[in-house]
Amino acid sequence: MAHSVKGLTAWDMALRTNRIVICYLLSVDMKPAAIQTLRDFETKPDLFSKKNGELKLSGSDLVEMLRAVLDKGASLRFRAKGFSMSPFIKDNDIITVSPLTDVSIRSGDVAAFIHPEMKKLVIHRVVGKKGECFHIKGDNIPDTDEVIPVTNIMGRVTRVERNGKVISFGLGPERFLIAFLTRIGLLSHLLTPMWKLVRPFVKRMAP
Amino acid sequence: MAIKAAINAVYVLSEDIVSREIEGELIIVPLVSGIGDMEDELFTLNKTGKAIWNRLDGQKSLRDIVEELSTDYEDPGGEIEKDVIGLVEELLKRRMVVKVPKG
Repeated sequence: MAHSVKGLTAWDMALRTNRIVICYLLSVDMKPAAIQTLRDFETKPDLFSKKNGELKLSGSDLVEMLRAVLDKGASLRFRAKGFSMSPFIKDNDIITVSPLTDVSIRSGDVAAFIHPEMKKLVIHRVVGKKGECFHIKGDNIPDTDEVIPVTNIMGRVTRVERNGKVISFGLGPERFLIAFLTRIGLLSHLLTPMWKLVRPFVKRMAP
Repeated sequence: MAIKAAINAVYVLSEDIVSREIEGELIIVPLVSGIGDMEDELFTLNKTGKAIWNRLDGQKSLRDIVEELSTDYEDPGGEIEKDVIGLVEELLKRRMVVKVPKG
């Protein structure tokens, strides 16, 4: 099939294929909208496709999706990014955030909340409560804890998965001790030696 | 067994999904057993699929949707009807749409 290519009198043989494609796309663009077929401009052949982990959502899109799911009383399973909760939640672990329906959030829980200043979703541990606010801190960051209004808390992390295994250490009863050590700023100093000590037990606990 | 969509039937989006348009793409997360799984159960529709999806309002039959799309787009070889039926059957299979009872 011959393609008419305006403005191109000489073909660069090395780039010929690419230029035909580019010009073809430009010429399609000149058809009035009313006489397009439904499939014109379609770059993806499948009407419906599975996307899974390929999709990288921006912070605000993830917040919107999380809010929509939690509002329906459901949980959202997605990939966590960052190192501030390591080693309990590591970069690229898959976490499940559940709504705060029946049980209110307590010290030791890992909360998903909107950071009041950064306006983005953060996953950190609750280390205390004061009035209508929670003290929240990353397990692996030496900074002081942050005071987050209860209204900013969206949900609680109820499951962590790593390399296909459920990691329950950090979400069970030990979370109270972790929260205490985090609060007094000892956890980040103790993490490395403590992790070496408990790692064999954690491995044994994983199914 | 394949689930068939009827051209005269009316369908509506299921309550057990969350969909959002993100960067021009329609993203659908089904809520299965109370969990929306963005890691293993995330779906997307292309522009054609989105044009059909946006018309599944619980009011129009699939025939109405085909007719509506046929006024906006050329339809050589009845492609629109095939696309509408094909997509709705795919969505029915995954329980993302439900048939509205005749009333």
